Amino acid sequence: MRNTEKEVRRMPEILQYTYMQRALFVGLLLSVIVACLGTVMVHKRLSLIGDALSHSSLAGVALGLLMGFNPIVGAMSVCIIAAFSIEVIRKKLGNHSELAVAIVMSTGIGLAGVMSGFVKSSADFNSFLFGSIVAISSFEARLVMILSVIVLLAFILLYKELFYISFDEQAASISGVPVGTVNAIFTILTAVTVSIAARTVGALIVSSLLVVPVAAAMSIARSYRTTVLWAAFVSVCSTIGGLVLSFYLGLKPGGTIVLISVAFFLIFRCIAFFRGRSTSSKGA
Amino acid sequence: MNSYSSKKASHHISRGTDVRRAAAGVFSLVMLLGAMTIFSGCKKRGFGKDAEGKVKVVVSIYPMYDFVQKIGGDQVAVKMLVPAGTEPHSWEPSTRDMLDLEDADMFVYNGAGIDAWAEDVLDTVQNKNLTVLEASEDVTLLKSGEDHHDEDEHNEEDGHEEHDHHHGEYDPHVWLSPKNAEKELATIADALIEKDPDHADVYRANLEAAKKECEALDSAFREKLSAYAGRYIVVAHEAYGYLCENYGLKQIGIEGVSADQEPDAARMREIIDMVKEYGIKCIFFEELVDPKVAKSIAEETGCETRALSPLDGLTKEDIDAGREYFSVMRDNLETLAASFE
Repeated sequence: MRNTEKEVRRMPEILQYTYMQRALFVGLLLSVIVACLGTVMVHKRLSLIGDALSHSSLAGVALGLLMGFNPIVGAMSVCIIAAFSIEVIRKKLGNHSELAVAIVMSTGIGLAGVMSGFVKSSADFNSFLFGSIVAISSFEARLVMILSVIVLLAFILLYKELFYISFDEQAASISGVPVGTVNAIFTILTAVTVSIAARTVGALIVSSLLVVPVAAAMSIARSYRTTVLWAAFVSVCSTIGGLVLSFYLGLKPGGTIVLISVAFFLIFRCIAFFRGRSTSSKGA
Repeated sequence: MNSYSSKKASHHISRGTDVRRAAAGVFSLVMLLGAMTIFSGCKKRGFGKDAEGKVKVVVSIYPMYDFVQKIGGDQVAVKMLVPAGTEPHSWEPSTRDMLDLEDADMFVYNGAGIDAWAEDVLDTVQNKNLTVLEASEDVTLLKSGEDHHDEDEHNEEDGHEEHDHHHGEYDPHVWLSPKNAEKELATIADALIEKDPDHADVYRANLEAAKKECEALDSAFREKLSAYAGRYIVVAHEAYGYLCENYGLKQIGIEGVSADQEPDAARMREIIDMVKEYGIKCIFFEELVDPKVAKSIAEETGCETRALSPLDGLTKEDIDAGREYFSVMRDNLETLAASFE
């Protein structure tokens, strides 16, 4: 009895450090909202939007540094513009809508490349591309908290509308869903999330967690709701698992988190495969 | 099928607008090219008329720039490839930089891995007149991470694996010890005397003056830091091996010899534990590297943060304000001494 009390009082080593508490907390919040946004984006066939937006946000950082305004503001605004460009181009291209992401991504990389040549201090510039989940400032933590509340609220309040739009935009608009407005809200939210998360935890983590957990979830989930829940589950487990491994084994956190989510995807595919076989054999 | 033919039809109708669109495209392309020439015009290339009659020297990074200028004085025209305020570990030359090399009499680089691109670049330069000088050739190089203690041994190996392509096994920041700086200055002076024997006296006199300053700097470091021998310093990246060796300090690098690595959670814990164990009161960051990680560790341990310059690059403001090797090194000394008090 006494022993267990002692155990409870003694925090596990990983929680004794402020930077780890912050990493786990911010990682948890971001993985939930990124999974929610990812489900929307993957269903809209925009799975590479994270890569496109994080590169564009880098161009925004460069612009901010060049023109002398706050780089975070620069990143956010260019990200929003990029996200809307994707929406516009996507509508114009019809069958080839996936090209929209590629075009905007190329533009973002190109702009960032050219403008980085004019930025004087490389420190400011690099820090925006390579955020680090183990070095999060209290300002960034607060920013992520506010963002998470907004994204989660929007996601819950607009859940039904999103559900419609995800499967059939035309049908949704016929049945009275304000498709334009809802799309616009999520475009902005995704853009803002990517630009903040790229600075806080790094572009690699955001762009991967937008897609891989959703892909994993889609292999086993049978409804939209369970897809969201599984995606959030995979995303959270990957983030926490990655941080724990990084803490005890000294692995790079970003890469570890991404690889764990890929492992989840493979496992879920296997589950789906065997499940499919057993149901088909039952049917026969 | 239906939609396909209708698209085709609309294509025929809109041929007129296609022409207009093409014209608009060409117009914007011209504007873009125009803008690019204006931008690139800001950066002057090649040695201009001012350089006539002088020894034209291209250097890789800031310390080389400063050293060549200290020895050459008015007899040399110096161009630095890595622009002011850029962290050299992550820099690569553009095609236009090659023009400077074709026009130059001498190319001075530090060597030991910090400007590893220099050797690749030189393969493509056709300038037969070009004397190439590796300033660190007379310096005894330290293996990177040599002054580490047992605790971070495994991490040191990690760092090696990842940056083998960039950095050899040696710490390139030789100039951070005034004694090595003196050697580099002498190497540069010898090369300049050989290239331009007419002004040998000038170069010799400048070398003497610089040597005296190096000695003064060395004794200042010795005097101020002798009381703190054996102390640890936590720095943004492991650039201070030579300085530590000379003056009896030990460095704990947040990142390896190269400045652009992301720390992992285990390394963060190691550093935090060491900071607490050794009662370290200050975390040093660099102006050219994002201080995020240093700040995060400082916040965790209640340390202060201070800027320490490894001199791999100075910002343009600093250069314009007349700062150079000796003044920055003296500031570093003040900062170090103050952090130990």
